[in-house]
Amino acid sequence: MQINGITIDDTFAEAFNMRGTRVIITALNLKWAYHAANAMTGFATSVIGCGVEAGIEREIDSDETPDGRPGVSILMFAMGSKVLMQQLETRMGQCILTCPTAAAFAGIAAGLEVDQISLGRHLRYFGDGYQTSKLMTDPNGITKRYWRIPVMDGEFLTQETTGMVRAIGGGNFLILATSQPAALRAAETAIEAMKKVPNVIMPFPGGVVRSGSKVGSKYPKMFASTNDAFCPTLKGLVNTKLSDEIESVMEIVIDGLTFEDISRSMYVGIQSICALGDKSGVKRISAGNYGGKLGPHHFKLHEIMGNSK
Amino acid sequence: MSALSFSLKPNHTQQIDCRLLTPNNLADLSVAEIENLNLLNIKNSPKIGDYFEVSGSDASHIVFKNADAQLNYIGHKMTRGQITVEGDCGDFLGHQMRGGTIFCQGNAKDRVGDQMRRGLILVDSNAGDYCGSRMIAGTIGVYGSVGRYVGFAMKRGTILLTKTPQLHATIQDCGTHTLPFLALLFKSFNAFSTLFNDIKSHRIQRYAGDLACNGNGEILVLIQ
Repeated sequence: MQINGITIDDTFAEAFNMRGTRVIITALNLKWAYHAANAMTGFATSVIGCGVEAGIEREIDSDETPDGRPGVSILMFAMGSKVLMQQLETRMGQCILTCPTAAAFAGIAAGLEVDQISLGRHLRYFGDGYQTSKLMTDPNGITKRYWRIPVMDGEFLTQETTGMVRAIGGGNFLILATSQPAALRAAETAIEAMKKVPNVIMPFPGGVVRSGSKVGSKYPKMFASTNDAFCPTLKGLVNTKLSDEIESVMEIVIDGLTFEDISRSMYVGIQSICALGDKSGVKRISAGNYGGKLGPHHFKLHEIMGNSK
Repeated sequence: MSALSFSLKPNHTQQIDCRLLTPNNLADLSVAEIENLNLLNIKNSPKIGDYFEVSGSDASHIVFKNADAQLNYIGHKMTRGQITVEGDCGDFLGHQMRGGTIFCQGNAKDRVGDQMRRGLILVDSNAGDYCGSRMIAGTIGVYGSVGRYVGFAMKRGTILLTKTPQLHATIQDCGTHTLPFLALLFKSFNAFSTLFNDIKSHRIQRYAGDLACNGNGEILVLIQ
């Protein structure tokens, strides 16, 4: 398949089941909401080393947030509910509780297939007995419990729980270009477009990863190592998947709440790169997989780009 | 479904105990069944129909019409639903309340929310003495003035006022603050056509108490 001179490989991205949650962070202004959200989603690029994968989903206007202040929503994903709960509580305590004026609210409402996990339920004990709970009813008539914890800047307000749902992590595509600047420019273009898609995050720095990995290594203790087939400097040494003209490959990894969200995000990202044309230096779009044996979710590039046209 | 309404018949002279007229007690009963119920759990009790004209069917929302200061114990031990008082009410509004909301459009007499544990009571006019007495938790809002001993022996909970009351010695001043949670609290008031909806400020004077009972309750006086 070719779109605007760029080849779309007949391959698929392989993704895994994860558990995901959303938290809405508000503050006195957007600047401090971002400070809190950036801290909360820091060091959360890959579950391999960070426990969770997290990112900022979008900005939220003050008329949309529970407390009427500007905010951002973040999504957080982990391989299991236990890790997700542990990481959420740790990050709430170190990143949101500590951030001036910040407050945290559930981003996923209670419902079928939604588990409630602690947001401020245990954090309240920081109040040392001066914490107070409030049950308040939202405009939809749903009553929720909040905790008010006295802190030095006034009061830290947090909802008691947020929702945890089944989610998918590891949707991806690879950008193969004739130069490093060309690959980076295309990746940035894709990320800008994909940021507008709800329910997904791209957890790596700037949304882009340059060190895609394969399973296993020559070193017995390493369970993942560099994806040599896509390393341009190894073209003459390994069973490469790169043609002569390719000098740089960058990957965009997507975690999302549903299969459709990730598919939509991949389509938007790839389409935005294809709109640049092959003169941009991008020659191929491919995807990372493990032969289809590890992850239950397969995002076939031709189906995504064909169906969505 | 229309709200279950109790319209007080004129010319009554006695105090009326309304503790049985709650969403909990009247769910799934017809108007005729309600009118024939005893008003009190005692021998020779008058019937509800002796004092009220009953209409409507939705027991999750009860409305007292033509209400006056002789209606006591409205919302006693209620755990859910809503009660609207169109007019004044007597003592012990929301006594031992466990949930739901009570909205009184007129004046309430003494001991509003006595021993309440959860829920919301809004009084758009004045409240009498001992407002929020022995309160365990929950929220009381009084738009008008309150009498003496507000928050007497309260353990936790919030009493929201617009005028500084006369406070007793075991209520302590904690200073002026802007509290973010008030935005959520005021949003939750939007379901009612209460005077509190006119308030835009989140700035309050905070008093904590009653120190005779842990002192984890609070009286918030809005600064407008």
